Amino acid sequence: MARLQSLRDAPGTSREYETVYILRPNTANDGVAEINTKVKGIIEGMGGKILKVDNWGKRRLAYEVAKERKGIYLYWRYLATAGVVEETERNLRMLDLVIRFMTVRLDESINPEARPTEIDDASYERAATTAADEEDLFLSRGDAAPAGDDDDEYENPVAEAPIGQEN
Amino acid sequence: MSRIEDDLDDKGDDRRGGKGGRGGGGGGMNRRKVCRFCAETTTLIDYKNPQLLRSFVTDRGKMVPRRISGSCAKHQRAISVAVRRARMLALLPITVGGE
Repeated sequence: MARLQSLRDAPGTSREYETVYILRPNTANDGVAEINTKVKGIIEGMGGKILKVDNWGKRRLAYEVAKERKGIYLYWRYLATAGVVEETERNLRMLDLVIRFMTVRLDESINPEARPTEIDDASYERAATTAADEEDLFLSRGDAAPAGDDDDEYENPVAEAPIGQEN
Repeated sequence: MSRIEDDLDDKGDDRRGGKGGRGGGGGGMNRRKVCRFCAETTTLIDYKNPQLLRSFVTDRGKMVPRRISGSCAKHQRAISVAVRRARMLALLPITVGGE
């Protein structure tokens, strides 16, 4: 697919993207692996470099998507050039097991050699293994957020003691 | 910090004068909220962290306005982008309706 390269990027650099896609909750590990292999093939086949693959496990969806209440979340971070995302998303769209996907550009004009990759053979295996379906898995993620830190933001201003008059 | 509060106190006085007999209605008037992400720079706004974003949406799933949450303009923009992305991935509800 001949495609005009974006002139915004410095030559020889690539952009950093992350893609999250949601699979149907009943997808077996084989099915997850199959889709991962496909995505990997597209990204690497088009000259991209995969930085991270992660399986967030089976989580409850905040709302129903494609008649499913839960979904398996897959997270990819990679370096790629124009057209790779398009091609990846085109393929994801065709797969029936994928119920939702989203790609976000994180950075641009980066040198692919300068970025270390966290990928080894085991990471694909790990990404294909969906952890046991626990509802609190959803809650246990997001460890970066200290809970209860923002209580004061919701205090009712009226409930506070009135400030004494100065005169 | 105290200087700001003093400053605010002055303003508060004016308003209170205007309110007259409403009796302590403006109790919370003088509390200046500090943007949480300006205060702790290590906390990053990320759509992948729905736990954090939940404190910036109401029980109904609507975004909390700046005047309530106290976020600065820059971080409120980041929050709103993150919330919209998280909604897309069903990490946050678009709306929480009645039964």
